[in-house]
Amino acid sequence: MFRSLWPLAMLAAVLAAATTLSTTLARAHEIVGNRFFPATLAIDDPGVNDEVALPTVSISKTGDVPSFKQLDVSGEFAKRITEDFGVSFAPTWSRLYAPGGSNLTGARGFQNLETTLKYRLFKSPEHEFVLSAGLEIEWGGSGAQNVGAERFTVYTPTIYFGKGFGDLPTSMNWARPFAITGQVGYAIPGVSKITSATFDPDTGEAAIDTEFNPRVLNWGATLQYSMPYLKSAVADLGLPDFVNRLIPIVEASFQTPVSNTATSGTVTTGTINPGIIYAGNTYQVAIEAMIPVNRQSGTSVGVIAQLHFFLDDIFPNTLGRPIFANNISTGRPAFGR
Amino acid sequence: MRIIVTTIAVMFATAGSVFAHAHLDHAAPKVGSTVAQSPKEVVLWFTEKLEPAFSSIDVRNEQGAAVNSGKATLIGDRTQLRVPLKTLPPGTYKVIWRVLSVDTHRTQGDFTFRVGQ
Repeated sequence: MFRSLWPLAMLAAVLAAATTLSTTLARAHEIVGNRFFPATLAIDDPGVNDEVALPTVSISKTGDVPSFKQLDVSGEFAKRITEDFGVSFAPTWSRLYAPGGSNLTGARGFQNLETTLKYRLFKSPEHEFVLSAGLEIEWGGSGAQNVGAERFTVYTPTIYFGKGFGDLPTSMNWARPFAITGQVGYAIPGVSKITSATFDPDTGEAAIDTEFNPRVLNWGATLQYSMPYLKSAVADLGLPDFVNRLIPIVEASFQTPVSNTATSGTVTTGTINPGIIYAGNTYQVAIEAMIPVNRQSGTSVGVIAQLHFFLDDIFPNTLGRPIFANNISTGRPAFGR
Repeated sequence: MRIIVTTIAVMFATAGSVFAHAHLDHAAPKVGSTVAQSPKEVVLWFTEKLEPAFSSIDVRNEQGAAVNSGKATLIGDRTQLRVPLKTLPPGTYKVIWRVLSVDTHRTQGDFTFRVGQ
């Protein structure tokens, strides 16, 4: 009996390790002066807004040994409480396909629910700069253990920023459509270690295993070139409307265990994602390749795609407004807010 | 999958008239262009209808002095904003726009054009 359970135990262990090091799929969009920061897929952007990402679909091969093909289907609903403060909820459903020739049968189920509280700290329309701070919470025990969802909660305080280069001198007009965004977060597991009794089927001996849950630095950035910005703020080249709505982008997302790493190791994992975003008036569509940076990050190039709706534009007077909104009734509005 | 499709369908079925942020679609003179003669006006075309009381255009020369000869007014189907200009000598001019769309979204932006060679 124990022998028959051994492969499942191994599967659960590698999935748990993968999930601990995984990052979130995300999220918001933001307008700062001339600049439209689109929702990005590998990292969260600094925006606080009302929006729905539904669905985000990714297919990749994990860095586990053996490697599993993993399908993730996720969604996210983000809601502003005030103009600068919002909350989002993001469930993810995973399907893991067992490698061929193994008696591992794979698994399916929901990952732990993720909630993010985010506050916009600073916004400069003139310099196309925005800075936000947030707390991401992965609720332990809310997902299925057979896809690696942990029983403990993970808290990740995070800083987000975005900077457009529209304030460069006109002699560098070619560079003004560029923008960068980034995030740095520190994931703190609610439980520092998990101790369990195991039975080794080969030796017949029982043993006590301790798994330490590392604290992980989640960091990443994007580099994007905005064709909408080129047309509306630099030079209208008369390109087709479809081209004028494209934003070529490269995202990078990394996870580095930095403490309590006795059993996890300290290898940085992550992916670099070149892709493209099409920005409509009320939605955007994005697709990116996911290139693992090392063997521990994956064994082949994956794909991620997302359909994303701007609720503030679709439901401007109801669902797309902050719950506590500033009313525009008299006087000139404070532009850029 | 059916849940996802149904959710999206319900979202749009209940959305009614969809508005959005007003983004600059195009302009005359064109963004970043050079025109041989002084234009008589700047006209901006936006992606959404605008509220006139909260929508403006300022045109400034390289010294930062205003060169528009009047206030911006809405024309056409309320997606076009027009401002008259003084006679402009050769140089680079900055167009600064601030608008409020009819669904109360505020946006702003700027671009330059040149007069002369």
